[in-house]
Amino acid sequence: MVAFRNTDASGRTTGLLLRCVLYSLLALGLIIVDKRYDNLGRIRRVLSIVAYPVQIAVASPFEGWDWFRESVTTRDALRADKSKLEAELRVAQFRLQRYEALEAESQRLRALRDNTAGTTDRFVIGNIMDVDLDAFRERVLVDKGAQDGVFVGQAVVDAGGVFGQVARVGQLTAEVILVSDAAHAIPVQVNRNGLRTIAVGTGDLGRLKLPYLPTSADVVAGDLLVTSGLGGGFPAGYPVGTVAEVKRDPAASLADVDVRPAAALNRSRELMFVWLKPQAAAPASAAAANTSGGPALPSPQASSQTSAAVRAAAPAPTPAPAPKSAVPPKAVVPPTPPPPAGANDE
Amino acid sequence: MMRDSRIRRLPMALSALVALALAVLPLPTALEAFRPDFLVLVVFYWSIESPRAGGLTLAFVSGLALDVIHGVVLGQHALALTLMAGWATHLRLRLRVFSILSQCLTIFALLTGYQFILFWVDGATGNPVTAFGRWLAPVIGALLWPLMTGTLSRTHER
Repeated sequence: MVAFRNTDASGRTTGLLLRCVLYSLLALGLIIVDKRYDNLGRIRRVLSIVAYPVQIAVASPFEGWDWFRESVTTRDALRADKSKLEAELRVAQFRLQRYEALEAESQRLRALRDNTAGTTDRFVIGNIMDVDLDAFRERVLVDKGAQDGVFVGQAVVDAGGVFGQVARVGQLTAEVILVSDAAHAIPVQVNRNGLRTIAVGTGDLGRLKLPYLPTSADVVAGDLLVTSGLGGGFPAGYPVGTVAEVKRDPAASLADVDVRPAAALNRSRELMFVWLKPQAAAPASAAAANTSGGPALPSPQASSQTSAAVRAAAPAPTPAPAPKSAVPPKAVVPPTPPPPAGANDE
Repeated sequence: MMRDSRIRRLPMALSALVALALAVLPLPTALEAFRPDFLVLVVFYWSIESPRAGGLTLAFVSGLALDVIHGVVLGQHALALTLMAGWATHLRLRLRVFSILSQCLTIFALLTGYQFILFWVDGATGNPVTAFGRWLAPVIGALLWPLMTGTLSRTHER
């Protein structure tokens, strides 16, 4: 076989060129099919199973070391840990006392507003695998995949707040894109006054930006940002970050707002995959109806985003049935323009 | 060169696997940008050393593995790696008589070409990574080349 190919020098070069072109065309075809039609999910899922042993092999020494370190901790350390956790638990339980009542109240109020921003249904906890995906994209690999019901676009939170969303699902693993990835955006609202906007990642683990706020927007350093639940991907009310710095250039029309993410993006190991309650899929029909007819516009960006609001509400499963008149005029629901774009992962 | 290509297959596959593991080995965030493309260097080595044992196939399969493991568009690394491995195979006779410095420079050119194709596909598919750090990998890879050839040739040339 080798000798046969060896006979003709020019023949060999053509063979090389031919194979090179063939393989390149195959690769180009794959790129186009994967990008345009997005139906390589199954193939990719199978391939990810093949990659799994490599990832396990790389991650296992680190996990073994963690396990070893945990199993040789001293009694004193354990005891200190225990008392610290107990203290934390006391505080948490104290806060939790009113949670049930508050949740019921919130549900009632939401029903009144006919606005069912998503609430959470159930969690699955996954562990980040010790594997580097890409130096220039903020993504992590988690050991839960399609067989656990994880799906693309699913919200992922950690103990501190929103961590990111699922970008790709393999059979046994899932790739999570962090809120700080430059290609990630998440609809948020200022907890203090309900101002809605979008938090966009910067590619820097410790920083998000609010690029769409006018200089006159009421936002100050220290404001807590929570998910608004608009766009349907994320459950409402989870902390996303706190405003670190607001720079207002009088000459610019938009403020420059830095946000420190609430989730421990570089320290968390356990993540929670969140399922929304089924009703959460219902559209924010009230939002659309209100924006079109609201006489007062407290939010400075509301008027400029009305069209965006209508656009965002249009593809909802059931279009807004209520005409303008159906909304009681005395309802003091602020106009709720959904953000111009939902959370977009590339 | 004259040996049966089948003898080469095992070290080829093994070195590619090790390089693949090195590609996902967790590094401190500060060092991540300095990670050389180990698998690419391994593929170049085998393309130059014994192209008839299936250098291009190795390049294509390794590229697919990188695509899956990095979670990017399927075919991106495969395309870049196939083209550059083809070029390396084409240059192999000249490369073998080059001084080590010229070899490093050639490998630098190949790695830059590889990175450029990745950059181009990134941009064409709509998620460009414009960080300057990605152009560091070719420099480090080229600096690592002598070490790489030394280690790899020791594995199979007795």
